[in-house]
Formats: sequence, structure tokens, C-alpha cells
Amino acid sequence: MSLDIDAVIDLLKQGKHVKEETVYTLCLRSQELLMSEANVTHVDTPVTICGDIHGQLHDLLTLFEKSGGVEKTRYVFLGDFVDRGFYSLESFLLLLCYKLRYPDRITLIRGNHETRQITKVYGFYDEIMRKYGNCNVWRYCCEVFDYLSLGAIINNSIFCVHGGLSPEINTLDEIRAIDRKQEVPHEGAMCDLLWSDPEEVDTWSLSPRGAGFLFGKSEVDKFLSTNNVELIARAHQLVMEGYKEMFDGGLVTVWSAPNYCYRCGNVAAVLRIEDDLQRNYTIFEAVQPQDGGGNAIIPTKKPQMDYFL
Amino acid sequence: MDRIIQQTDYDALSCKLAAIAKGYLPAPQFSDPNEIESYKLIHSAYFNTLKTHSRRIYGKINKSISSSFPVMNIGTYLRTVALDSQIETFLQKNDKVQIINLGCGSDLRMFQLLNKYDNLTKYLDLDFKDSIYFKNDILWNTELFRDTLHLERSNETDGELAHSDRYKLISCDLKDTTNTMTILQSLTDSQIPTLVITECLLCYMPQLESQTLINSIISFYRVGEWLSYDPIGGDQPNDRFGLIMQTNLRESRNLEMPTLMTFNSKESYASRWNIISNDIKTNIDIKDMWEIFNSDIEPTEKQRLKKLQFLDEFEELKVMQTHYVLLNAQWEHAL
Repeated sequence: MSLDIDAVIDLLKQGKHVKEETVYTLCLRSQELLMSEANVTHVDTPVTICGDIHGQLHDLLTLFEKSGGVEKTRYVFLGDFVDRGFYSLESFLLLLCYKLRYPDRITLIRGNHETRQITKVYGFYDEIMRKYGNCNVWRYCCEVFDYLSLGAIINNSIFCVHGGLSPEINTLDEIRAIDRKQEVPHEGAMCDLLWSDPEEVDTWSLSPRGAGFLFGKSEVDKFLSTNNVELIARAHQLVMEGYKEMFDGGLVTVWSAPNYCYRCGNVAAVLRIEDDLQRNYTIFEAVQPQDGGGNAIIPTKKPQMDYFL
Repeated sequence: MDRIIQQTDYDALSCKLAAIAKGYLPAPQFSDPNEIESYKLIHSAYFNTLKTHSRRIYGKINKSISSSFPVMNIGTYLRTVALDSQIETFLQKNDKVQIINLGCGSDLRMFQLLNKYDNLTKYLDLDFKDSIYFKNDILWNTELFRDTLHLERSNETDGELAHSDRYKLISCDLKDTTNTMTILQSLTDSQIPTLVITECLLCYMPQLESQTLINSIISFYRVGEWLSYDPIGGDQPNDRFGLIMQTNLRESRNLEMPTLMTFNSKESYASRWNIISNDIKTNIDIKDMWEIFNSDIEPTEKQRLKKLQFLDEFEELKVMQTHYVLLNAQWEHAL
């Protein structure tokens, strides 16, 4: 089936319905493209690193607007494209379209939400059922999730990953050796890369999330020196200020979903890495999504925001 | 407006049923082993009778149960166990006591408390007329509830509510303090230690009415304890949680929380119970729910929660729970 990617991009930007067959073709093409990528993709500077998106389509559009846009800028997305927000499908498909249209400008890394199990709990599955009346589109997307990279390496100096480190991983080569084309397991190296968090701990500790580990400065320092890199850029944790550097600048958390879940009140950030590896953060806030005429795009069926009442 | 507030009862009920369905409640750390089955049974019986009473509300609740997020389930768990354990502490340290649940909605705490504590002489459930008659219909039409609570109803036709010696349902607009106090004075004893529960009630009331209610109750009962759970707007310079919450609730359901930004911190929230009087001694303790999560939930219990569902975002849990508080205010009149 032929695919007019630019036309699909236009539809997606307006939050409009994309036909099931179109999604199918899009997902199939994306799989073919992603299949050829390594577990740890090489990326050149200058590049803009983006954290969690979580289906906040209008904020994703703001992100592109504030950071130069895909026509001019190279991007690494650290995962968690779907779940929680109202436009998981549109957000993910828009990124896939950009990936197909500008393959060397966009790197997509898998987040802990890009799995069948998590999307069934956290909203993406329900969103597809609401929008299509069946789960086919969800299945197509999950097939793509299995092909997403586990990490990226920028100029051989900055390691990008969704969650963090794993006690089973010492070197980048060990990540390269993982068979990634599968549902994310409940434990082990692949799980840890997507689930772990940095914390002020002396050594590997249990994560309060129920998956992955907590790791401290010593684990980060060891990983940086072993692999001769200077920074771990990761996402995965809400940061109210949009980004947070830790461990003498050896690790940064980037969060790109402003006013997370439409209620947290946080700002979002992206991190631009220059050719000399200088770090520049851009902060942005949540805005009302608008159509071409400047009118707010109002979700047809706006689920209620959850509070304890 | 009253109707919109009354409907928040279905949210609270959905949240609790979801937390039960997912295994968060009842909590082993806070429950008697032989109460666990009856806790589930009571809630499912209530929900089953509700189904025959209103398909529409049943469908609405059923839908939100199936799609409840872990961050909500944990919050509901926290709110429930924190209140429960303070209620039980009160019941265990006093001889004869009475409980007044203001804005009770579909809360079913009375079953286990009345069953377990003989020293609990009176348990009063007060709420809007619609809520009380809704609850009344469900209780009366469920054999389990009629039997356990020993409910009576001599004359169904004139709208008499089901009741027992120890349990009363009372239809009452809590904004009308004069009427509320008249009812309380006729049904309770001002000399018996009294526990007042307001679980998401005061946040919907105008400031003046809520303050009058607090003052009147504290002056009427000689010895008492007030447990209050509510959201607070937040008082930090960059904290936008409260303002966003007001906007979201207004836009999605026209629901107002008039004092959310007035009593935006633990200190300002608690100040309402700080009665300046030579005749009344007060002792106030307030914690946000995040503090309670960190201090009161045992490691084994946290371990259990973790296994129920993957919590995708810890910081979000923190943001939400630091904006909800549990107050414990104790007072005693000088003799």
C-alpha cells in the first residue's frame, strides 16, 4: 500500500483520525527501518535530547516548535511516547512518520511504557479501543515497540537510555549483545535499562517501582570510566523543573511532558548537545492545543482528570 | 452545586472498589485476619445491590474501576488505612464513644466498627438527602446489611430511614449548621467522647460554613477527636498543583473547592481547629499523605503494594500525596 507520509503528518498534527490500514502500513515500514538499527544507535552532534512524552501531543508539537523542528534539528527521544496522556497514538505515530520521513534526524529509544503489559494498565490500550473499537492498532504499535533501540551513543561521549544502569551491564558491548526484539522482560539487563533510577545510594538497591534498580554515584562513575563516556542522559522520572543533573554532572534526567497528566504543574525541558558537547537546556510549558485557525483542539471525549474526591 | 458535590461520592466509591479489586485493600498491616473476607464481602454486596438500584451509576463506577491507575489505587489505599488506623486507635483508648461521619456518602466503615467495638454506642452517617436515601435503599435491600446492622424500619412508606439503636442515617445539609447541631444534640450525648470524621467534606464547603461547623461541634462535645482528610492547594512559590486542580475540576465537572488555596498548607489547614479559649484545650497533629506513606507503612506492606501493580512514576505519587492531608485534632473542655 502506498503511504503519503506528509498527509498523515498533517492529520496527526490536528489530532485527527488515521485509518487502521494506514497505521498498519506505517507500523510495518517502521519495523523494517528499526530492524536494521543497532541496540545502541550512533548519533552525531548537534542533537536535541527529549524525555518522556506520554501522549501529550500538543506538548510534543510545542517541543518541536521550541527546539527548531525536525527539518533543521536532529533528535533523540528517550522513550515513553505513550500512556497517560489523551493522544498516545497520535504522538507515537507522529514520531514514526518523522522517523520514516527523516531517518537520520530522529532516534527513538524504547521506554518502559512501550510494552504490551504496561500499555494495558496505563491507558494506551484503552485509548485504541476507544478510538477504533478493536485492539488491532494497539497490536501493530506493540510490534513496533519490540524493534525500538535500547539506547544511543552521541559522539561516543554521551550514553542515552530511558531508565538507567543495570548490575548485569558493565560495557556498551554488553548492551549491544542483548536480543532486544521481544516484550520487555520482568527482570534482567533489558528490563533494568528501561526501569532503573539514579538515587543517593551507596550501591545497587531495590527500586520502589517494582522493576529495575536504584543506582548511585559510584555505579555511574564506574560506567562512565569503563565506557569512556562523560554523561548518561536519561528520562523516566518526573522532574518538576524539567531537568536535573546529578553526580557532579555525570548524569542528567530530562523530562519533556509539561504539566504531566494535566495535573502535576511541572515545566518540561529538552537538552541540546552542541558539537563541543556543551549542554543547553530549553524549558517549555504546557499550552492549549490549537488547530490551524488558532482554535483550541478540544478532545472529543475528554476523560476526567483523576483526583481523590 | 449540591448535586455536583454529591456525585463525588461515586468517585470515592469507585476508587475504593478499584483498590479492593486490585488487592490494595483490605491491608494486612491494618486488618484483623478474620475481617479481610467480610471487608470484601460487604463492599461487593453493596455494589451488587447498587446495580439493581441504578444501572447508570453502576456502569459509571464499573468503568472507572476497570481503568483505575496504580497511582490512584495507592492513594486510595493510603487514605483508607490512615483514617482506619486512627479511628481504631480512638476506639481502643476510650470506654464509651460515639462516631459522627459527616459527608459519609457510600462509606461502609460502620459495619466493621459496630461489629468489632461494643463501646461504640452510636454511629451517625450524615449527608445530603440524595446520598442518604441512596445509601438507605441499598442497605435496606441487602439482607446481609439488614442482618449485620440489625436495621429496622417500622414505616417504609413515609420515607423513614433504616436504623438501629446504634446506627443512624441522617439526611442533612451540613452547610446549615443550626439544623445540623439540632440533629446532633437530639441523637448524641455531649458528655461522651466523640469522633468526628470529615473525609473530603470541608474542601467543598464555603469557608464560613465550614468554620461554623467546626466551632459548633467542638463547643458542643466535651471531649472529642476530629479526623479530616482533604486536598491542600500548596504554598510553595512554583507549586501550581492547586490552581490546576481547581481549573480541571471546574472545567471537567463544574466542581468547586472554595478553600483549596486559602488552606493551602498543613499549617493553614490545621489553623481552623486551633480554638483560642481558656475553657478548651486542643491538640492538633497534621501530616500530608506522603509523610504518612513514608512513616506509617511498614516495609513488608510497601513490598506487597509494589507487587500488585508496577508503579510507573514515583514522583507523581509524591506530587499528589503531598497535596492531601490527614488532620487529627483532639479537644477537651475544662470541667
